[in-house]
Amino acid sequence: MTTTTAAIRATGLSKVYGSGAARVIALDGIEVRVRRGAFTAIMGPSGSGKSTLLHCLAGLDAPTGGTIWVGDTKITGLSDDELTDLRRDRIGFVFQAFNLVPTLTAAENITLPLDLAGRRPDPQLLDRVVGALGLGHRLDHRPSQLSGGQQQRVACARALITGPDVVFADEPTGALDSRTSRELLGFLRDSVDEAGQTVVMVTHDPVAAVYADRVLLLADGRIVDEVQAPTAETVLDRLKSLERAGA
Amino acid sequence: MLKAMPRELLAHKGRLAMTLLAIALGVAATVASWVAADSVATSLAGTKTRGDVGVAVRAADASTTMSSSTAKRLRGLPGVQRVHEVVVGKAGLIGRDGKLVAATTVLDRAGTNWDDSGRFTLTDGRAPRGPGEIAIGRTEAGKSGLGVGDRTTVLLSDGRARDAVVSGLFDYVSLGPRSGDGADPVPAVAYDRESARALLGERLSRVELVVQSGVDPDAVVRAALGVGYVVSTGSELAAAAAAESDDTARELRETLLPLAAIALLVGMVVIANTFTMLVTQRTRQFALLRAIGAKRRQIRVAVVAEALVLGLVGGTIGTLIGIGLGPVLLAVMRPGDDLGYTVSPVAVLLGYAVAVVVTVVAASGAARRAALVPPMAALRADAVVPKDVLVRRSALGSGLVVAAVVAVVATAGPSEDNLTRIIGLLSALVGAAGVLLLAPALAVLLFRPLLGLARRHGGSAVRLGVRNAARDPRRTAGTATAITVGLGLICAFGLLSATFATLIASTTRANVPAGTTVLQPAAGGASVLSPSELDKVRATPGVSRAAASRDKIVPISYPGGRTERKISAIEPDALGTVLTPTLTAGVADLRRGVVISQNQADMLGLGLGAPITLVPDPRTPINTTIVGIYEATELGASIFYDVALAPAPLRDQLTIIYASGPTARTALGEGFAQRPDVTVTDREGLVAQGIEAQRLAFALLYAMFGVAIVIAVFGVVNTLALSVMERTREIGVLRAIGASRALVKRTIRVESIVISLFGALLGVTLGLAVGAVMQHAMFGQHLWDITVPIGVILTSLTGIVVAAVVAALWPAAKAAKTDVLAAIG
Repeated sequence: MTTTTAAIRATGLSKVYGSGAARVIALDGIEVRVRRGAFTAIMGPSGSGKSTLLHCLAGLDAPTGGTIWVGDTKITGLSDDELTDLRRDRIGFVFQAFNLVPTLTAAENITLPLDLAGRRPDPQLLDRVVGALGLGHRLDHRPSQLSGGQQQRVACARALITGPDVVFADEPTGALDSRTSRELLGFLRDSVDEAGQTVVMVTHDPVAAVYADRVLLLADGRIVDEVQAPTAETVLDRLKSLERAGA
Repeated sequence: MLKAMPRELLAHKGRLAMTLLAIALGVAATVASWVAADSVATSLAGTKTRGDVGVAVRAADASTTMSSSTAKRLRGLPGVQRVHEVVVGKAGLIGRDGKLVAATTVLDRAGTNWDDSGRFTLTDGRAPRGPGEIAIGRTEAGKSGLGVGDRTTVLLSDGRARDAVVSGLFDYVSLGPRSGDGADPVPAVAYDRESARALLGERLSRVELVVQSGVDPDAVVRAALGVGYVVSTGSELAAAAAAESDDTARELRETLLPLAAIALLVGMVVIANTFTMLVTQRTRQFALLRAIGAKRRQIRVAVVAEALVLGLVGGTIGTLIGIGLGPVLLAVMRPGDDLGYTVSPVAVLLGYAVAVVVTVVAASGAARRAALVPPMAALRADAVVPKDVLVRRSALGSGLVVAAVVAVVATAGPSEDNLTRIIGLLSALVGAAGVLLLAPALAVLLFRPLLGLARRHGGSAVRLGVRNAARDPRRTAGTATAITVGLGLICAFGLLSATFATLIASTTRANVPAGTTVLQPAAGGASVLSPSELDKVRATPGVSRAAASRDKIVPISYPGGRTERKISAIEPDALGTVLTPTLTAGVADLRRGVVISQNQADMLGLGLGAPITLVPDPRTPINTTIVGIYEATELGASIFYDVALAPAPLRDQLTIIYASGPTARTALGEGFAQRPDVTVTDREGLVAQGIEAQRLAFALLYAMFGVAIVIAVFGVVNTLALSVMERTREIGVLRAIGASRALVKRTIRVESIVISLFGALLGVTLGLAVGAVMQHAMFGQHLWDITVPIGVILTSLTGIVVAAVVAALWPAAKAAKTDVLAAIG
């Protein structure tokens, strides 16, 4: 494996829901390549297929056609158990709705993927992640005792604790105010810059997209545009033109 | 492994408690049954057996009699160390209230002679001396309130009565079994030897010998007495006694465990439903775990582990409750018996095994469904309902119901033989299972119009409540079927009981004329009257005619095979006078042959003139033919034959005396006023007696089904509580836009009543249908010859509505307390 290998690669990716009159094409021949150690944002209008793309890339949802590689592993065609192992060991998730287990403490939520694998957490990694996220004094709290921002940071720590190849984030700032959003995005940015983490994020917020190295723009299940080193203005402009084209 | 699961359990104490209670009650019923049977077994087995007796000698049959001279011949023999004669005769003890004391042993064998053989252990006072003194059993003393020094009356054979003073109380140690051939029944009254011979009779029941070691007792007896005697060694008798107590315990277990199984079955429905709901409720959580790397197997194992833990805890509670309930059950099942209380390790193990197995099996479906939750469900709001399962389930249910109906109709003839009837009964059960499978589909069918009705005519609480109940037909049906099973059983057996009562009444009324007076032994059970009573009845002025039936279950053979039937020996002139069976064919002339009931004749395939052999005694089989067929049901004796043909000993054992005459009722009432051992009644008295007896027999059944209903109600509480939790947000929104707390409570109450009534109505319908097949199978009547137990149905339905309201209390309060801001925030 060389450093030039893509962290994620997909070709001819399609996803179709339903059949007959109710047939909906969510993804329509997507070709995508995500570089290792890059922060990629996926944007697009509602119904453009950005969440579906993320779910397929992350092995949560099975595409109708096409092939996906995570690193050197071809994940399309894997059995459910193999996919589960892949998600557990090589992929991290941050969801919009935090999705923490309410009955577990913050620390237990963070180490849950390791528990599932029957592994003990690496104390150094745990310290580093927890320290970076500023969660040290909150580890014994239950999710209900944490603020939204803190909960999302716990979710981030959970995603990072296995040292995954890729972290997928689905609207991670959707339920946060602007200040906590900035903190979270800054943290994701730092994990890319300092630890060489690969991050793929779906968002509808141009301000959030600015933290990414590259923005992929989706419309009607296709990648229609791409912005390198985005600023809020360039992203907003492209989105507006997309919406005009769609209207 | 998955820390989240036990925490999740503990986080919801209410539903945890309900689930545990459902498990615990089912287990408690099982353990209590087992413990009761165990206690009876150990008490019987633990009864002291006598080791002091070498052999017991008794007459092989009625043709040989033993008296003191028999004992005398044995007494002088070489090798014989000790000889004890045992007299057994009729002795009825009258209690302080002037009524006959219910003794362990039938009246005719309740008296004996006092001796120092080791049979008696004096617990108070001293041994009786002379005809004016008796010793009585400690159990009878307790029942009658008699003590040492009290004067009372003893009823003897031939209507004699003697006053006597209680000189002492005893415990009795039996030699061998307590019932059957060669039994040593526990006596209630003991006289000294001379008085016993004078009052109870010269005839000996047995002679006990103690022989020197090395002497063959069999040879000794044969040499002294010749043939015609049965010689049993002490160890043989002890073994027979042990076998008897094992049989008794097994019988008790066989009665109780099926009932406990019903409680368990209902418990299982409730547990399965609760687990399904717990899983559905946690769909999102399972999906999350799946998304971040939990394998299907891990989720499945976690749910099963959760069931295991619940099973263990519920099993512990249930076993403890069961152990506590055992004595209560014993008191109901065997009142008056002095029984030790034994809890064997088997009972405890059984409790745990049942709890764990039932819970894990009940949860396995839910575990499988939990594992199938796709990880995507974590990211979506809409839950996945596996529709195809419901379709498959309904198809299977319809198939079973159709097959069952066909089979029941095909086997519905009133003259079908036993096997066909059993097939019909099993088909009915299969059909019932089919209906339970169809329950969700039926819920959909029923709730759709109900919903429309509620929309047009109901208030907002009714509208919302019905809509909630209709929302998830599968869950509603699951909750309701637990009630269905319990209530179905109550209605089925209620119908059986009511039909039986009608049958008793109609059969009695058809065969006994209103003017006939009836005399029975007051002690009931296997007690009988003697010819002296019949003589007395005949001699009573005002009685113009009297006859007695001697009923016994004996082997019979007929061209189609052999079986056992209750047959009745009676004077030929009784038919048409004191008994008036309605003949459908032939004549009621017992001098020419036997008279048989129509349905027995149909079942055995016999017509007029058919040969039949009755075997009341193996040495004197009665070969005869059928001369008359009468209309009757399968109750009481259904084959009458001439008493002159009956073996001599049976002729003297009168089951019932029938008498008629212008003033018979009054005259006999007065004539037997001083005889507490004889009940004088008439046709209506006989009817009332029969109905009362069968009602008692059904009481225990009702009690056990009641337990099943209680478990089912816990299921309703569970469902409601979970549905309230699920709808926190929705209830919050309702409250925010103006629903009062009272309205929220009413909504939950309506939901509870709708779910419960759905289950109840299904249960009543199903119960009546199965009950109709049951009465056909048991009484050989047409399917529609039923008596609907309206009282039972109305009581059950009222009870269910009350239970539904009670079940809704806690969930409704919980719903009303919903914090509006937290719910919608």
